[in-house]
Amino acid sequence: MSEYALEIKSLSHVFGSFRVLDNIDLQVLPGQIVAVVGPSGCGKSTLLKAILGTHPPTHGEILTDGMPVRGPNRNVGIVYQNYALYDFLTAEKNVSFGLKMDETSMWMRFLATRKYFAKRRDHLKKSLDFLNVVGLSEACGKYPHEMSGGMKQRVAVAQAFIMRPKIVLLDEPFGALDEAMREDLQMMLLRFYQENLIAKREGRRPEYTILMVTHELNEAIYVADRVIGLSRFHTQGEQGAAIVYDRPCPVFRPDDPRDFSKFVEQREELRRAVFDENYIKDRNQYVTFWKELGTLANSVAGI
Amino acid sequence: MIRRDIPRWLFWLLAIGGVAVLLGAYEMLAARATRTNPLQTTIPSFEMLVKGLNKIFQPQGEPENPKSPMFWVDMRATLSRLIIGMGIGVAASVVVGVLMGAYRWIEAPLFLSFKFLSKIPQIAMLSIYFNIFETGEVLFTSLVALGIFFSMTQSIYLAVRQDVSDEAINKAYTLGASEFEILYEVIWKQILPKIIDNIRLQTGPAIIFLLAAEMAVANAGLGYQIRMQSRILNMSIVFVYLAILAFIGLIVEWGLDTLRQKLCPWCVD
Repeated sequence: MSEYALEIKSLSHVFGSFRVLDNIDLQVLPGQIVAVVGPSGCGKSTLLKAILGTHPPTHGEILTDGMPVRGPNRNVGIVYQNYALYDFLTAEKNVSFGLKMDETSMWMRFLATRKYFAKRRDHLKKSLDFLNVVGLSEACGKYPHEMSGGMKQRVAVAQAFIMRPKIVLLDEPFGALDEAMREDLQMMLLRFYQENLIAKREGRRPEYTILMVTHELNEAIYVADRVIGLSRFHTQGEQGAAIVYDRPCPVFRPDDPRDFSKFVEQREELRRAVFDENYIKDRNQYVTFWKELGTLANSVAGI
Repeated sequence: MIRRDIPRWLFWLLAIGGVAVLLGAYEMLAARATRTNPLQTTIPSFEMLVKGLNKIFQPQGEPENPKSPMFWVDMRATLSRLIIGMGIGVAASVVVGVLMGAYRWIEAPLFLSFKFLSKIPQIAMLSIYFNIFETGEVLFTSLVALGIFFSMTQSIYLAVRQDVSDEAINKAYTLGASEFEILYEVIWKQILPKIIDNIRLQTGPAIIFLLAAEMAVANAGLGYQIRMQSRILNMSIVFVYLAILAFIGLIVEWGLDTLRQKLCPWCVD
């Protein structure tokens, strides 16, 4: 088992003559919630698709738990903004879909053996348990068209996490939701983070490692424990977007008041470092996460 | 006002009234034609239609050696050709359409020719099918199968491209599904309502090809009988057969609707 849930080595991506991403290096530890922000068109989605394995990078390598990514696979989960639930399955069956694919064969399903039904009962029970975790047990029999956006997104989150992937990618997951729904789902991610902290304290490998693309700076700092900024606004910007910001964020508990004033300073720093096209700086100026990790570890241990 | 609702009882009263007016107008037309020529059979009265109905259920041939009634012989011939032809056509369309929608290297060599072939009215292809398959049962089943194949394949291929998102497929891979599992567990299940709708839509054209072919070269079947009876102006039987065709259409539509509701309860129009 690798030290890193995700490792990106010298990744570059070129579309024709346009270089989108330039020499991206990134390591994500198990249990981290990493937010990726950046201006429109800076390559956030390209990076996400490369990690997912649908758009392999032109140069460089991506490893999940030490294994190279060759295409979409079981190690990387995905939650899309548009949910991408299976319309023909209820919430419960959507969540257990992966378990069914993973633990039963087509033959077992067609022949409908006793073993298959036993497995299915087990899958549906696990699915119900996970729907409880995301606060949606009452909707287990509903089809996607009968659910609200927030409910669908919870199902999508449960569908991805029930498979215990090495890392889950969230592609602007709350972008289509109203404010109340957003807050609910942000709380859910904070609860996942708390479970990670408990797992670390107990010497277990944390289960929820997340890389989240968002355009909401407040959300990025509030939910994540580390923020990465992708941007072309640096001294070698003509070569493509690079990681120009990589710093830890303050950690919130789900029951803490949502006081965004606590991170105004970091938000402004992030805005300037990543989004200000007039502020051209060395690309490594704000890439200080690993240097600050010792301090972060101490603060986490303090919680 | 456009689309203003009316009471349900009034809606059904008007619906039944519409049918009654149609039947009444027909009976008046038939009575007028009979007054002019008491031996006419071109617009049979209801009484003559009932006689026609009785006749098609009468055993044929000599009383000492009776054969099956005309209706059963024709129904058996037409329905078996239709069901076998449609079964082959639908199965082939589903397989080719799903594969075209799922794999670019299958789509690329086929989509242009299928697009072109699906635009040819299949009734115009009958002469070609007559030459290829000659006469016999193979002709009827083949022309029904080929008659629906190109347009249905095209519809299923487009349904796979449009109704199954890349996200749904990528997600299935991340959930551990194999390619075959994605084809069956994701694509097939997602487009099943479209397949059932397509079967319903293709049943009408399939019956048209079959009747046209039966009128031309068969010696049993609804098309054959309609042509034979109309040649001798035995319209009381022709009209009964037309009504039977309408009933077959209604039953198929009801059956497929029920099947869709049962197999795809998630699908809302």
